[in-house]
Amino acid sequence: MSTTAVTIELVSARVQITGVSKNFEAVAALAPTDLTIEPGEIVTLLGPSGCGKTTLLRLVAGLIEPTTGTVTIDDQAPSAARAAKRIGFVPQAPALLPWRTVRGNASLLLDLNRKKGHAVQSASVDELLDAVGLSGFADAHPHELSGGMQQRVGLVRAFVLDAPLLLMDEPFAALDEITRTEMRHLLTRLRAQREATILFVTHSLSEAAFLSDRVAVMSPRPGHINTLEPVGLERPRQPELEDTPEFFATTTRLRHALVTATDSA
Amino acid sequence: MRISRAIAAPMVGIVTFLLAWEGLVRALDIRRFVLLAPSAILSELADDPGGYGSNTLVTARHMFIGLAIGLAISLVVGSAMAAWRFVEEAAQPILIAILVTPWVAYITSIVIWLNFGERPILFLVAFTSFPVLTFGVVGGMRSAEPAARELLASVDASKWEVLWRLRLPSALPSLFTTGRFSIGLALAAAYFAETKALDPKGLGVIGQRASLDQTSGAEVLWTTIFCTAALGITGLMVLTVAERTLLRWHSSQR
Repeated sequence: MSTTAVTIELVSARVQITGVSKNFEAVAALAPTDLTIEPGEIVTLLGPSGCGKTTLLRLVAGLIEPTTGTVTIDDQAPSAARAAKRIGFVPQAPALLPWRTVRGNASLLLDLNRKKGHAVQSASVDELLDAVGLSGFADAHPHELSGGMQQRVGLVRAFVLDAPLLLMDEPFAALDEITRTEMRHLLTRLRAQREATILFVTHSLSEAAFLSDRVAVMSPRPGHINTLEPVGLERPRQPELEDTPEFFATTTRLRHALVTATDSA
Repeated sequence: MRISRAIAAPMVGIVTFLLAWEGLVRALDIRRFVLLAPSAILSELADDPGGYGSNTLVTARHMFIGLAIGLAISLVVGSAMAAWRFVEEAAQPILIAILVTPWVAYITSIVIWLNFGERPILFLVAFTSFPVLTFGVVGGMRSAEPAARELLASVDASKWEVLWRLRLPSALPSLFTTGRFSIGLALAAAYFAETKALDPKGLGVIGQRASLDQTSGAEVLWTTIFCTAALGITGLMVLTVAERTLLRWHSSQR
């Protein structure tokens, strides 16, 4: 029993956000916010532009400092978690380095800050590239790939770290609808191998419904979490789920929550 | 395919230019010192290929070493300017002052300071080429994608890693662009400094001597000009080939 508990702790992080707010100059981007993300949970930040969802994600990543409040990741400050390579970050733009091959880009985060590398990796770069259907492109350069393929490299780059926390900033926002749908299914498959905690930013209702355990519906001026909507859909989630009445009911509920949140702002 | 075109196309341009030059000199019967026909230059070159060859190599060495020093300085100064806004704003006026002050004005002081020989030549080449290269480094490093910078920050990459893995490769395209200007600047500086520093060899040294010889100096003077131009073109071609090889990933090369 106790060994199982230890393993889960390593695989999934617990994120505690306490009274965190952020002002840029005189503008309040995020009002004081509390949120706890349990180990292995997938929480989505859903809301319109300017609701502070990306700000909140960047605060958790420690890329910006909060004006008030604290963020801890398994009782560590975000900066310590970054230094220990316990955060897998997926930015909105794939941000692939054009001079590196697909394999080189996929291993970029492994190659950096090497002294904090993991002794054991659950999957190699090539295995993960294979898993996302890019094994034939390992030696290609980013400009030879489509937008969807580029962002798949971005996913591999984060997953190969085996980080207990994945932070994803609208990773599929720039993709067309069909590719976007495939990407969330792919993300679910990848994550089934390893139960990392995920904080995911999006403005897509379907993405939020398909991926999340809970959805934090946010609204602007200043950014805050309006409601926390649990998503009751069963796991594991298969692509067919999106054709069911339960899924439709969930996206409808989320849309209403979003409209309420936007109106109240 | 690409590299062979990179050599063939400029060749066509050069040959066309030489033919037009030859035709002009013959048709208008231009005085030798004003403009010497390419055919006369080539026959002068054929009379003493070893002499011109060794002097060209000396000038090439001055240009190459001077540029290498200038590049090294520009990478250090440029990295610092790209990393800290304050350093950039403080350094900018100095770089511009160096860039716009004519070297004709201060070459004598440099020669007095560093003495005759190779040192003032290398100094002038490095000194005149590094500001342009520095602007290339700063602009290129600043162009590194912000999302990639955040990505590197997400695993706490060190400043050195950010420089080496992201900023330096990002600076390559603009460094090549400014490199083209620098080759011209460096060669002009090398030739000019040679005329003043009285180093025993170099195209500038024999060109300077020939310009004082009213009777038979025109052939030598124009042959040094010809060799200087050939050197510059060779330098550009080497740079182009290097660019196409190193920047295969960059949109400018597709």
